[in-house]
Amino acid sequence: MSEVKISAEPRTEFGKGGARRTRRAGKVPAVLYGHGEKPKHIALPAREFAAAIRHGGANQLFAIEISDGTQALALPKAIQRDPIKDTLEHIDLILVRRGEKVTVDVPVHLAGEAARNTLVVHEQNTLSVSADATRLPESFEVSIEGLEVGSQVTAADVRLPEGVELAADPEQILALVTQAPTAEQMAAEAGEEPTEEAEEEAGAEGPGAEAAEAEGDNQGAPAQAAAQG
Amino acid sequence: MLMPRKPPKGFRKPHHPDRHGAAKGGTRVVFGEFGIQALESAYLTNRQIEAARIAMTRHIKRGGKVWITVFPDQALTKKPAETRMGSGKGSPEWWVANIKPGRVLFEMSFPNEQIAREAMRRAIHKLPMKCRIVTREVGES
Repeated sequence: MSEVKISAEPRTEFGKGGARRTRRAGKVPAVLYGHGEKPKHIALPAREFAAAIRHGGANQLFAIEISDGTQALALPKAIQRDPIKDTLEHIDLILVRRGEKVTVDVPVHLAGEAARNTLVVHEQNTLSVSADATRLPESFEVSIEGLEVGSQVTAADVRLPEGVELAADPEQILALVTQAPTAEQMAAEAGEEPTEEAEEEAGAEGPGAEAAEAEGDNQGAPAQAAAQG
Repeated sequence: MLMPRKPPKGFRKPHHPDRHGAAKGGTRVVFGEFGIQALESAYLTNRQIEAARIAMTRHIKRGGKVWITVFPDQALTKKPAETRMGSGKGSPEWWVANIKPGRVLFEMSFPNEQIAREAMRRAIHKLPMKCRIVTREVGES
């Protein structure tokens, strides 16, 4: 992955007021640290940084030129976004050197389609690998073409490019192929749905009564947090 | 339907929970590939959660998985109809989850994105707030 050149300015004002002024100016507050150096507070151009991340992924290498004349090579360590507006709030950048081995989480994509009537559960969508900071892989692709029920894709199944070592446990499961629920199972699940009578009863007694009842018999299944469909 | 198994530890008839501010956590899709994210604050009842879940699972039919990432653990009370004011607080009527903007309510894993989006669109119609469909961001921490 090639590095992206980005200019930065040192930040002089801090706190939420200063940070908001920085964001209003089209920049994003960031901090640069690592290698035992003192942290540097900088402001990066928000649009350029977002575009670089969009194209290069979260492991995009940046060659940062700070306006005070210093240059640094850095990787994003944490990116904070506004959950609703999806704008960048703050970025943590970690200093790296050329030739240095770093450990990063690289996205894993599943390619192909498993056998019919199966459900692929993507357990982990990133894989931890260590590689040269200037030669980080963008993503890995694993084929699940024709995999039968019960088969699994582990970290060891991922073909790593030269110079990239696995940092995670080789037996770590990335994806599982399970049996898709049958029409009968779906019907059984539909049977669990509350009947109108039960709903009326529950409505009349209120949630307090329902909870007391549930505690009293204590035989009911635990609240279903995940439902297979 | 989702509800606490034991009575609440604190008050049986609590005040209405705060509806200001945005969600502090649970704002990203972590289990599945797609999710329904709330854009407004609302009290989400266990019936609405169940209705949305059924709408979703009926549409996808088979071959997918649905996660519910909120739990209705707040009791809301109501006074009976045609009663005069006073005489104490009403009796617990609903179990709700206090939802704030940004919260991911449901997650889904399904091979066909188009069908998954249609299933979630149907589920959103059962919910009391504006919502949007979000996808999992890979690699960002």
